[in-house]
Amino acid sequence: MKVSAPLLEVSNIVAGYIPGHPILRGVNLRAEPGKITVILGPNGAGKSTLLKVISGFLPPEEGVVKLGGADIAALPPHRLIEHGVALLPQGRSAFPALSVVENIELGGWTLRADRKRLREAVEAMLSRYPHLRPLQDRAAGSLSGGQQRAVEIARLLVPNPSVLLIDEPSVGLSPIVARQVYQELVAFKEEGRTILLVDQDVRAAIKVADFVYVLNSGRNDVQGDRSAFEGDLGAMVRGWLGV
Amino acid sequence: MLSIFFLGSGESRGWRRWIGVAFWLAVLVALVLYGLIGTRLFYLSTLGTVFMYIVLTQAWNILGGYGGYLNFGMATFFGTGAYASAILFHYFGLSPFLTAPLAGVAAAIAGLLIGIPTLRLRGAYFALVTMIITFAVQILVLNLPWTQGALGIYMQPTGLTPLGVERLFYFLFLGLAALVTALVYAIERSNMGWALVAIREDEDAAEIVGVKTIEVKWIANAIACFIAGVVGGLYAQRIMYLEPFGTFSFDISLNTVLMAVIGGAGAWQGPLIGAPVVLLVADTLRVTFTSEVNRAIFSIVVIVIALFVPGGVMGLIHRWRRKKRVEVNAAPEKN
Amino acid sequence: MLTQIGSILADGIMIGLIYAIAGVGLSLVLGIMGVVNVAHSAFIMLGSFFAFELFRRFGLDPIISFFLAFPVFLGAGVVVYRLLITRVETAAQTQGLVAMFGLMVLLESLGTIAWTTDTRVITVGYTNTSMVVGGVVLANVKLIAGALALLLIGAFWAFLRFTLMGRAIRAMGQNRSAAMSVGVNVRQLSAVMFGLGIACAGSAGVALGMVFPFSPNTQILWLAWAFLVVILGGLGNVANTLAAGLVVGLIQTAAAAFMPFDYVYLVLYVLLAVILVVRREGLSGATRRAI
Repeated sequence: MKVSAPLLEVSNIVAGYIPGHPILRGVNLRAEPGKITVILGPNGAGKSTLLKVISGFLPPEEGVVKLGGADIAALPPHRLIEHGVALLPQGRSAFPALSVVENIELGGWTLRADRKRLREAVEAMLSRYPHLRPLQDRAAGSLSGGQQRAVEIARLLVPNPSVLLIDEPSVGLSPIVARQVYQELVAFKEEGRTILLVDQDVRAAIKVADFVYVLNSGRNDVQGDRSAFEGDLGAMVRGWLGV
Repeated sequence: MLSIFFLGSGESRGWRRWIGVAFWLAVLVALVLYGLIGTRLFYLSTLGTVFMYIVLTQAWNILGGYGGYLNFGMATFFGTGAYASAILFHYFGLSPFLTAPLAGVAAAIAGLLIGIPTLRLRGAYFALVTMIITFAVQILVLNLPWTQGALGIYMQPTGLTPLGVERLFYFLFLGLAALVTALVYAIERSNMGWALVAIREDEDAAEIVGVKTIEVKWIANAIACFIAGVVGGLYAQRIMYLEPFGTFSFDISLNTVLMAVIGGAGAWQGPLIGAPVVLLVADTLRVTFTSEVNRAIFSIVVIVIALFVPGGVMGLIHRWRRKKRVEVNAAPEKN
Repeated sequence: MLTQIGSILADGIMIGLIYAIAGVGLSLVLGIMGVVNVAHSAFIMLGSFFAFELFRRFGLDPIISFFLAFPVFLGAGVVVYRLLITRVETAAQTQGLVAMFGLMVLLESLGTIAWTTDTRVITVGYTNTSMVVGGVVLANVKLIAGALALLLIGAFWAFLRFTLMGRAIRAMGQNRSAAMSVGVNVRQLSAVMFGLGIACAGSAGVALGMVFPFSPNTQILWLAWAFLVVILGGLGNVANTLAAGLVVGLIQTAAAAFMPFDYVYLVLYVLLAVILVVRREGLSGATRRAI
């Protein structure tokens, strides 16, 4: 199922939660279509803040967010799906008291005008992740971390987004499940989607990266494609810790 | 974080702070003078009521303005004090002027008892339950044998002329108002004041940092209820007749909150501004509007202030002062 | 003896259903949106007067008013949401609370201006008739009001459980930002949810008005009742609120059989206090039960 993705470009973003105290102080990046772009950096660097800006949860004080040439910085979060952008938030984001299938179905909220299409999309997700099928009527909050993650990912895909914003996908997951998640990200890339991945797990993220940006103290630090980062990761991380 | 509360103790430095205090002291002196020489019954009476409400509102202010626990049932404690004095008079012939402190104690005990279930609650629940408790107490008083129920209790006239009565209560309530305002001023600058504000801003964080939130709330509540009870006791003598519906009226509770919010909750000057504004505007409007239209207008004002003018009048003044200071400092400091 | 128990039960259930519908709107708005709608009971009061006026001017049976009230109050609720509640949601908690009390007083004052403080009743043809089932006397009005309440509660429950929009509303209450990320316009849906809460209040008012006398001042007592039901049942759950309403109704009718009228209220207030002491863990901070 090939998707054609637009270019996501972020220029000169200045943003923060308290006016006058920006966390991002002029960040630039490009997420090439059909590639996995990774954002790394120490805690407080602003990685999650940047995703919040792109996904519409935090309006930037300065700067532009362009998707296929159009400025989406001012869009509220619920309008992003219309442009094919979907966010997988940090931590648990499944609706805990709704069932698995209800969760997945809500992923297709923007498709609700065509019920038949919505039903087919949900069915497609259950086929893609067959281990969810026997669980489909269970409340999402009663599932294990890995299963909930699967529900969240299935929900994410229902509207067939072309750009995925992924925020620290492996936190709280066992190593095996985490590896599966990264494998899914590669599969998404092969379907032609653009992936912007923010991560703490430097090693795992670099393994799937096509391009890497490192943020530090709200600014761009180094960047390059994967080969540039396959060297001494330990040194880089130590650098962040100031050791 | 904006709030309806005035965030400002310690803002005015040095001579600026004394200007504020001096202003109010001047007002106090003027009021004392008027009380001595004034002859208009209506003015003395109205001002007497204003002072009484200042006392009530200041009492509310301690736990409500500084502490953020909005008590919508001040009438419970006011009424308890009133009835305590009235009952002591009815059965033992004791004058409320003597028993007012006892009335305060009675109200404080009621406050402690009521505090057991209510002070554990936060925000809206506390507000709602304190309100509901007033109704429960109203029913109790209506039905208990020794409160005379719906018949009410009559007090003995003081034997003064009407003008004399009003002048007496004018000074009584003015004195109390000054006292209580001084108390609130002192609390604001004390450790308890800081503890209350900490509780208001983030109670969990305050606890973690070591503030004894439970103790602070109980003490503040007890003080507030005591004051309300004392005022209630004196009120019994002033109004001369008590019955459950008027004495425990929700209006009293509502007015108290109203005055605090309009004047500036969390500031010692708040009730000083709020009480006169509300009562005097209400009185002027009463000529042209019925009391119901009055209430409707005030409720709109409250909504507007709560949502658009955080901190009431004192909040406005504070922001205006801060703007002035920024303007004065801005020019040479541009970097 | 048996018939006495039977009539207490029947009465309690019918009244309880009305209490439940009075509480459902409040509970859901509180549970899903975190808004303490102190003015909820004022809308209930307006619902009673809605039926009263339609009956007085046009002879319209309250049963019809019950259904008419729903869309009318839904619209009113949406308007109130957009004008006021959006600001309450963004304001500090205490600010918002004071504003909501302001709204309550405003509505009550408007009610008193329009209808004075006189107590009203709605007396229709069937108000004083009853039927006898198994020796138990059932007042027809209470039966009808109870049945209407049950119908509305059931419809509400079904809406939240089986429709996509209902699930989206529940999702919004469970994880607001995830709902936004999935494309749900939380603002719009909040307006709908609040509107539904007010619609329930309006219809509840009609049902209440069929059975009990009312005036603009009684709304504050209704607030206590609704609040009791909400606290007892837990937030945001229709089934639990229904159960809580029935419990309150049964306790009230049982108590009324054994003690003077006034003390019944006292019993309920004490009950409220006890519950709050016992369940305080579930009340401080943000606690939304499974919706």
